[in-house]
Amino acid sequence: MPQQGALSGLKVVELSDHVAGSFCARLMGDAGADVVKVEPPNGDRYRWSGPYPGGSPDPEWSGLFLYLNSNKRGVSLDIESLGGRTGLLDLVTAADFLVVGDNSLEIERLGLRRERLAKTNQGLIVTSITPFGLTGPASSYLGDDLIAISAGGMAYATPGIPDMVRDPDLEPPLRSNTNMAGYLAGVQAAVASVAALLSREIRGIGCEIDLSIQEAVAAVMPFELAHASYHEPKARRPEIFGVMPNTYLPCRDGYVVIMAVMDSHWRNLMDLADNPDWAELEVFSSGVERARNWDALEPLLLEWTMAHTGAEIAELAQDRGIPCFPAYTVGQMVDSAHVTERRFMRDVEGPGGEKFKLPGYPVRMERTPWQLFKSAPKLGEHTSRVFEEWLGYSAEQLEHITV
Amino acid sequence: MTTLPLEGVRIADFGQIIAVPYTAQMLAWLGAEVILIESQERLTTRIWPPFAENEPGINRSGGFNMVNSSKMSCTLNLRDPEGVALAKQIISVSDIVVENYSSGTMQRMGLGYEDVKRLRPDVIYLSLGAFGRTGPMKDLVGFHSVINLFSGLASLTGHKGSHPRIMGGLFPDAFSGCYCILSLLEAIYHRANTGDGQHIEVAMTEALGTLMPEAVMEYTLNGTEPERVGNRHKDKAPHNVFRCQGEENWVAISVEDDAQFQALARTAGNPEWGFDKRFSTSEERLKHQDDLEPLIQLWTSGLEESEVVAKLQSAGVAAGPVLDSAEVLADPHMVERGFVQSPSHPEAGPRPLGAFSWSVDGNQPGLARAAPLLGEHNRKVVQELLQVPDDEYARLMDIGVIG
Repeated sequence: MPQQGALSGLKVVELSDHVAGSFCARLMGDAGADVVKVEPPNGDRYRWSGPYPGGSPDPEWSGLFLYLNSNKRGVSLDIESLGGRTGLLDLVTAADFLVVGDNSLEIERLGLRRERLAKTNQGLIVTSITPFGLTGPASSYLGDDLIAISAGGMAYATPGIPDMVRDPDLEPPLRSNTNMAGYLAGVQAAVASVAALLSREIRGIGCEIDLSIQEAVAAVMPFELAHASYHEPKARRPEIFGVMPNTYLPCRDGYVVIMAVMDSHWRNLMDLADNPDWAELEVFSSGVERARNWDALEPLLLEWTMAHTGAEIAELAQDRGIPCFPAYTVGQMVDSAHVTERRFMRDVEGPGGEKFKLPGYPVRMERTPWQLFKSAPKLGEHTSRVFEEWLGYSAEQLEHITV
Repeated sequence: MTTLPLEGVRIADFGQIIAVPYTAQMLAWLGAEVILIESQERLTTRIWPPFAENEPGINRSGGFNMVNSSKMSCTLNLRDPEGVALAKQIISVSDIVVENYSSGTMQRMGLGYEDVKRLRPDVIYLSLGAFGRTGPMKDLVGFHSVINLFSGLASLTGHKGSHPRIMGGLFPDAFSGCYCILSLLEAIYHRANTGDGQHIEVAMTEALGTLMPEAVMEYTLNGTEPERVGNRHKDKAPHNVFRCQGEENWVAISVEDDAQFQALARTAGNPEWGFDKRFSTSEERLKHQDDLEPLIQLWTSGLEESEVVAKLQSAGVAAGPVLDSAEVLADPHMVERGFVQSPSHPEAGPRPLGAFSWSVDGNQPGLARAAPLLGEHNRKVVQELLQVPDDEYARLMDIGVIG
């Protein structure tokens, strides 16, 4: 018998217009829950986000959609119509969870608050995920990844230590070119949902979770917040602190991370570099001195690193006990022996036989392992089946909700 | 407060630095009894800044106190077989063991999963590693900067034409921690249903890998590596941070469609931008961002960031302040929502921290209490929980098995 996920047997309805909501529901599907994604008749927005295996836009093959919506079934409903809304509310009466990802104005407009939805389903857990939450002075604000990373404190904190801003005018606060805030919030929303499930086991009733994406960003920076809480705010261009080298440097084929923080590391590193004359200079005689005089040391080290590949340096340095790693591009990471051996990436085949990979799951659970139970649904693929299975709908009822 | 979801769950916490301590901390907030096993000699975050009033002390570190609140501390010498024996006794009365030592360390102490399972057959045992517990890099130790640089995330982060950047806030630890928390809650639910414990393994580099599906897909389809684009976005323009009045103040602005751009232009007192051919459609604006961004900055630089945010949001345009850590903890919106909790610590005093990114039926889902003093709960754990008699306790203290 194939192993089942930890959440198998539970029903989830998802209605989401952003990454956080879709990812939260996917994680529940990853754990074996029966997740039904409700899409509008023209489809989820990420069907038009790409990338596309064939190159040209195809709403059934948008990469981000495939990634966010595997392990789900899909129904298509026009929830602005009476019939579609009836269908949605019926699904919710049969569900353990409703995951809503939108902004708070839309959630209020659509009446997707638990007090209205749970009258006939006291066990219902509503997980609401919005840019700034459903309460508080900024709750009506719109947001996206950039806004959340900025208002959650992470953009200001980037680059993070030991990286540094060389010229504050040229380096304003920064986000990464990903939907990071959505994933941070999505995982936390799944945590909140499963915690609510454990509460339901105790209390017998569900609850409403109100998750703020802004706070989900701030919540993953405990160390940064500790600095503020203990009154040691970080300047955006800190003096180089601690000891050096503890950084990454350009090398012949990219970048290499060198953490030669102990004097023995430094001596071994200089051995590798054939003990240049400058290695003996007083200004580089200790880790603290090397940090103080980093502006002079960096170009000298660069001469050596630029003559080698990251892999060469890392291998030689690791042999001598110096913590040292090649810095990878996305491609080098994907192709690395480590990622390959751990089978982290999963293989996907496009409609024209195009082969590509998507990230897999970062957690190995012995008894309830992650599995690709199903690929992302085609638009409306499971509408009739879900309504039949969950609610015993007749053909006539089906027609009513889909008109 | 009603019953917390993890009341009655006991956790033996062998966490190091941030990732696993953060994991166990959130479980403690949710009601679990967490016993942090510490060494008297091998201290890490306890001796790192920031310190309360800049006065170093093993109970005064913000970095420690902000990821170990609500726990008990028990100091054991795990180099001594008698210390290991006590650790085993703690484990045998615990539901969950969490650890992120370097690979193999727990096994060498006789505390690996297989050993522990003999003591407690239904134990849930989580191991987290920078690179995981398998694969050619499993023995390498890596902090957040290495995780950023290995995973490829740093290569997706940075200003145009400039170096990779390390995303701020040491978030890889806490984000990996969120996956740990999710899997532990799932495992608790699974155990409640089946009686089965299990082993869970998490790799921090893979947690970061889940942030970048599009880049992985592009690379594996076409061999192309993503460019660093600063704060810009592939589909939205303007989409950046802009300077406001004062030294270190920026506002983030993100425009999704043409109507929002018209609203921005009107709000900025420059409705003519809306008629400028260069800015008439998303496509045109994406092409002419170099022209558009300085115009916006000219407007924002004369205003307070909060003014820009309020004006744009009331016009239906997504905008947010770029907050630093101190501003996050003082933000009226997040404070009102309860995100900021301030447990009072006997040596460090009341210190605000970022707690849950969500509320449950309008309340915080759990409570942060002070972090423990080093060894504060030795007697409670060893004498009350393990029932070690007085004279034996005194002997173990004398020979340094208990710190």
